[in-house]
Amino acid sequence: MNPVARREGVLVRELPGELLVYERGAHRAHCLNRTAATVFRNADGTRTLSDLARLLAPQSDAAEGEAVVKDALARLAEAGLLEAGEAAGGWSRREWVRRVGVGAAILLPAVASIVVPTPAEAAVTCVTSCVGKQDGTPCTCSGAPICTASCVTETCSEAGC
Amino acid sequence: MASVPIMMPLLRPGAARLGRIDRLGWSAGTCFDAYGLRFGVRTNASGLLDRLGPHLPPGWRASASPLVDQIFSVWVDPEDARRSRVYVGKDRRSRPADLAQALAVLESEIRQCVAAGAERRTFVHSGAVGWRGRAIVIPGRSRSGKTTLVAELVKAGASYLSDEFAVLDARGRVHPFAKPLSIRGASGCDRHARAQRVEELGGCCATSPLPVRLVVLTEYRPDGTWRPERLTAGQAVLELLAHTVPARLRPEASLVSLERAVARATVLKGPRGDARDLAQMLLRSVEKAASRGGAGERGTT
Repeated sequence: MNPVARREGVLVRELPGELLVYERGAHRAHCLNRTAATVFRNADGTRTLSDLARLLAPQSDAAEGEAVVKDALARLAEAGLLEAGEAAGGWSRREWVRRVGVGAAILLPAVASIVVPTPAEAAVTCVTSCVGKQDGTPCTCSGAPICTASCVTETCSEAGC
Repeated sequence: MASVPIMMPLLRPGAARLGRIDRLGWSAGTCFDAYGLRFGVRTNASGLLDRLGPHLPPGWRASASPLVDQIFSVWVDPEDARRSRVYVGKDRRSRPADLAQALAVLESEIRQCVAAGAERRTFVHSGAVGWRGRAIVIPGRSRSGKTTLVAELVKAGASYLSDEFAVLDARGRVHPFAKPLSIRGASGCDRHARAQRVEELGGCCATSPLPVRLVVLTEYRPDGTWRPERLTAGQAVLELLAHTVPARLRPEASLVSLERAVARATVLKGPRGDARDLAQMLLRSVEKAASRGGAGERGTT
């Protein structure tokens, strides 16, 4: 089956040399580099791995090109951006560098992903998170597992905590 | 600071009712507008309203109508036997120990509602200053050292935009959200964080929106050295999105604002050490870029 990239429920924004994809339901956002973006854009179910490889690098060896496409598809699948098609990885990064050389590493696909925060997560401060709670209450405001400084207790005096 | 109008708020028709919260015996209230939203605050302690003005978001205006989008309620035990309660709508958010804490919680909750609900602006949890007609934006979580770095930039001559939110318009420009800086003491205790006006640092507030020249993604580390990596525009948008309050509510508008904000900006990421040294480096970096950019840039500082 030819690969099909996800089109439903995603918001796609083009940037120079990159693509941003926002999943509306899962609220995840992804940044695709040029190689991953080319595969994502063209994986429409009509193109084979070879077709996609030729789009990426018309001059390069077919096996190398397909390995890059497989790698891109694996990364897109891992990010939840592939609906159908082969998602098995191509060569490993090490294998790729060994076979093709460091100079070609710029062709390697990359997909960076985040879970987009809720409004409360994005704006949280220790004031809203910790006031009124006991010292040692798990704190969500700073990334620290435990908040000791801002969870106010009656022992907290004007001289400091 | 103008005093707040005395007016008991009412939710707009069709808004979800507040149930038993409405029956807690509210005796005083006020209504105000901010960023296209209308809010009400009500309380059973009339003295609270006298102290409310400095806790409202920058740019608030007294409202002529009692109909509001959201009601904040502050209940204070008249016998001082129980903790206060702060409600946002019908949700109880915290039980502060005293009125000062209640006001701090209320202030923070109102700002979060503004940040999430303002439809024509994209609020990014971030410090921001202006320098040579451009903005330096410092996104980060609470306690990442944003305010410290912003304060050092202001002391070094930058104009102040905010220590909490970079407020972006659809063109990606940063608007001032010049609340007093929240300076924590050596203990790091939020209860004793001091609200410091930018004038006390010898600085001034920016008065107009500024395009972004530099985005600095950093956290203080005691042994940190500023050797940043430079991010692409896409990576930068992803980093900013992680601090964007309305990202889930309005993803398309948020992405447009963020893309435009970083379109002409340098975006650097890495841990930092001393804030004073970094502040000087950042200003020099923007200055160099501005001199390369040539004429037509308006300085605000």
